[in-house]
Amino acid sequence: MSKYKLIILRHGEGAWNKENRFCSWVDQKLNSDGLEEARNCGRQLKALNFEFDLVFTSVLNRSIHTAWLILEELGQEWVPLESSWRLNERHYGALIGLNREKMALNHGEEQVKVWRRSYNVTPPPIDESHPYYHEIYNDRRYKVCDVALDQLPRSESLKEVLERLLPYWNERIAPEVLKGKTVLISAHGNSSRALLKHLEGISDEDIVNITLPTGVPILLELDENLHAVGPHQFLGDQEAIRAAIKKVEDQGKVKDSKK
Amino acid sequence: MSKYKLIILRHGEGSWNKENRFYSWVDQKLNSDGLEEAQNCGKQLKALNFEFDLVFTSVPNRFIHTAWLILEELGQEWMPVESSWHLNEHLYGASIGLNWETMALNHDEEQVRIWRRSYNVTLPPTGESHPYCHEISDSRYKVCGVTLDQLLRSEILKEVLERLLPYWNERIAPEVLKGKIVVISAHGNSSRALLKRLEGISNEDIINITLPTGVPILLELDENLHALGPHQFLGDQEAIRVAIKKVEDQGKVKQVKK
Repeated sequence: MSKYKLIILRHGEGAWNKENRFCSWVDQKLNSDGLEEARNCGRQLKALNFEFDLVFTSVLNRSIHTAWLILEELGQEWVPLESSWRLNERHYGALIGLNREKMALNHGEEQVKVWRRSYNVTPPPIDESHPYYHEIYNDRRYKVCDVALDQLPRSESLKEVLERLLPYWNERIAPEVLKGKTVLISAHGNSSRALLKHLEGISDEDIVNITLPTGVPILLELDENLHAVGPHQFLGDQEAIRAAIKKVEDQGKVKDSKK
Repeated sequence: MSKYKLIILRHGEGSWNKENRFYSWVDQKLNSDGLEEAQNCGKQLKALNFEFDLVFTSVPNRFIHTAWLILEELGQEWMPVESSWHLNEHLYGASIGLNWETMALNHDEEQVRIWRRSYNVTLPPTGESHPYCHEISDSRYKVCGVTLDQLLRSEILKEVLERLLPYWNERIAPEVLKGKIVVISAHGNSSRALLKRLEGISNEDIINITLPTGVPILLELDENLHALGPHQFLGDQEAIRVAIKKVEDQGKVKQVKK
């Protein structure tokens, strides 16, 4: 019997989504499609009469702007919003900024799929020679975290994403849900997947096949122990959602015309 | 020697500012001028290399949007923002939605100036039949325990300070004392109330203080959080003088209508 409802969502498109590049911890802005996706998400939630008590985001601006646009659509800008690095997108290490299609050509679709979708394969770490290293680690937002700058990840598997996310879920978010607060989590593809894996009890093997479309509110109903009472549900036009999922899945594939 | 710095700013224009109508707690969106003012404010703060730690706003959306636009200009959207009704504009009672110019025609400019700026002269309260009553008795105020009776009143500046002060003492001042750089995005009267307190401005002198919209106001404080000198407006001083005059002129009857 569902006792609590949680809304999780993956922010909309940024410029690098269209270029198929791993954005990860680089602070890309939403593009115009992404902004519109966020507003649609807000309209969807408004039509369903959602009234949020609390919003959680990562410290990356695309998740925050998504939340802001949703709150604006709902007329709920005043709802408290909290940002944490622990909800950040998965850290893709040395692969940050690289194009998925090129990687698929060089390493094969399967290797790319493993890097993107496996549970415990960690990409090579980012180092100071990487073009985005200083842009990330010189930013003040990473100097005021609950861990020291040098303890923050330099690369992550999905398993490692869950390991740094779980304390935040347990200590900050879950207690609010248990108080009966309606919570919105505006996050990223992999941080959302990691959380769903935990709450739905999805296996390490099955998580590879879970794809989350951008800008679609995901409803998870939870029991009194905060376990999912059923699979997550995408809210909105189901045909459009299927097309959106396929678009994300195709990002890892080499286009037929280039073979 | 200044130990702490505080930035206060009055939100940019909404459509009612252009019509000179009393916003009070009614939730008007920023108009295009207001949006631009907020962005310019952010650019100003960015050029001065201001790094904040915390932003406090009142609850109506125009203050929150002002804060968001500033954070976006600074690339610091991740900064914590806290909204509280304690920082809201003062309740204008039955005068909500009305226009200073109409009131200046019906009373006189000096009376209007006193109503706008005085410390302890009250306007008539509103009632449930007031067109904006239901709009301001919104769920966000139920969440913070503000009753309908409290919303129907009108407040004098003295009462704005009385409900703002506990919030300053309990939430904001402790953060400033930890060395955090705080921005308060509020509106004309709650900003004036706070400056009155921190600078020790008298009940008589506060009438003459006008704050322009969208201009960052810097206050430097000593170790007891008392102002070390008068507040300073950051930015082009000539443009600021024009902006102050614009706000002051809202209470006057336009010459062309005489």
